[in-house]
Amino acid sequence: MSIWDKTAVAADGSPGEAQDDGVLTVAQAVELANGKLKTIPRITIIGEVSGFKGPWGQRGHCYFAIKDEDAALQCRIWGGVYQRRSFDLENGQKVQFTGRFDVYKAKGELAFIADSFSMVGEGLLRQQVDALARKLRGEGLMDESRKRPIPAFCERVAVVTSLSGAVIDDVKQTLQRRNPFVEIICVGAKVQGEGAPEELIEGLARAAAIKPAPDCILLVRGGGSYEDLMAFNDEALARAVAACPLPVVTGIGHEPDNSICDMVSDRRMSTPTAAAESVAPARKDLVELLAARAERLQACASGLVSEASADLDAAQERASRAMGNRLDRLQTALDAVASRPVLTKPTASLEQRVFELDRAEERLQDAGGRVPAAFTAALDRLSPRLANASAGALGSRRHALSLMSSRLSAVSGGIVEKPAAKLAESAAKLEALSPLKVLARGYSIAYNGDEVATSISDFVPGGVLSVRLADGRVYGTVNKVEGTASAVPTGKKG
Amino acid sequence: MADEKRPVEELTYKEASRELELIIRNLESGDLELEDSLEGYARGVELLKSLRTRLADAQQKVSVLMKEADGTDVVVPEAKKEGE
Repeated sequence: MSIWDKTAVAADGSPGEAQDDGVLTVAQAVELANGKLKTIPRITIIGEVSGFKGPWGQRGHCYFAIKDEDAALQCRIWGGVYQRRSFDLENGQKVQFTGRFDVYKAKGELAFIADSFSMVGEGLLRQQVDALARKLRGEGLMDESRKRPIPAFCERVAVVTSLSGAVIDDVKQTLQRRNPFVEIICVGAKVQGEGAPEELIEGLARAAAIKPAPDCILLVRGGGSYEDLMAFNDEALARAVAACPLPVVTGIGHEPDNSICDMVSDRRMSTPTAAAESVAPARKDLVELLAARAERLQACASGLVSEASADLDAAQERASRAMGNRLDRLQTALDAVASRPVLTKPTASLEQRVFELDRAEERLQDAGGRVPAAFTAALDRLSPRLANASAGALGSRRHALSLMSSRLSAVSGGIVEKPAAKLAESAAKLEALSPLKVLARGYSIAYNGDEVATSISDFVPGGVLSVRLADGRVYGTVNKVEGTASAVPTGKKG
Repeated sequence: MADEKRPVEELTYKEASRELELIIRNLESGDLELEDSLEGYARGVELLKSLRTRLADAQQKVSVLMKEADGTDVVVPEAKKEGE
């Protein structure tokens, strides 16, 4: 700055130092021009940055030109000013510079000394958007941790966009082609111009309020200029996206475009079509998935059966082996039993017995032949002895018996005769007392039924009466009952 | 696999798909009784058939959220909207 100041001072020091002929020195001429330029007030120029050099050296000055279609102007920004910049100057930027004209005396060059500069148009917008992005990022609205997962297979999707544009049809067609199971609910909103952010915010709220709730919201818009997409850089809309109760998928503009909404959404896709594709798997994938599952299911089934049947085979083999072993053991035991002589030659013991019996019979016959002879001989010897012995013994016994017999008859005669005489006497007495004897003398006994009647009172006229005589009975009927004079008037008809 | 034995037709595609995957995983684990496995397999086949049919016949459903005169939103099927 010092050179420029010196120049200014020198100019001021000799303003009228003109030569007599009116011819000026170069310095005077430059100074004159510079003086005139200084009268131009501080102005603001808009133009495109070109040939930018800087910050230059230690002082950090910047040298470049600003231009438009018709003109170019050398421009300087001193290091102190450039240090306070809000963005870096780059060639091609449309920037608005505020400052004053000056002339570099040593070269007589006209220059614009800018003391401040700012973006204009899209540049300004971009700058503002960048600032908003920094702010929201600083608040954590773009943190990965905030981003909600979006179901791999959304069944119900709300699409917030203009209903009049081609975008909504793109979304429908994309999903029809990709996965027709995704139900689409279109929520109309202005996507550009005055009031667009407000309508989009309302659209998000309406979409979030749909019952049953969609799985996610597609916030989409077709391509356009940077200014066209500015609605999606609106702070209020960005905050609404971040605060939306449902996950939001954005597809705004084309690939390089990146809006604030994209940054704060839960998933950012480069285009509406890509956004639509991202919410559900493709039909082809579903078909493949089903085919794979069918295969797995089949494998499971055949695996099941073969495994089960292998298990059964193994079990069967084990069972039959075990059974075989058991049978073998039993067989061995049976063989052992069967090989015993009692079974192999069941008649052996009988034959043995038969043999033994035969032997016994032989011996018996042998013995039998000898015994009778021996006994006969012995008997023959015993017989005469017996005769002798019995003759003696029996004679004496016979004599004793006859003695006893005679004594017995003598005694018994006495015993019987005495009772017999007594018995005859008793019988005579008994005979005398017999009622039959009384009857024989002409008495009779009257009976009323079976009972002996002793009074006329035992009878009534018409009653039955029987009378016992010595040689039998008489039966009759009572005609009249009449007592004797000496007695109670009762009587009996004989 | 117990309480979710809802008729296959009542399930959404996604629900049916999820249940099928679950059944296959259970079958693949090999922890099931043979009877349960066979039951699961039968259910799996049924689900698979239904899913395939639906995939082949799928019709896109599009509706528009319309604002009524009283300010409430109603979901109007697009076909109906076009018919009006």
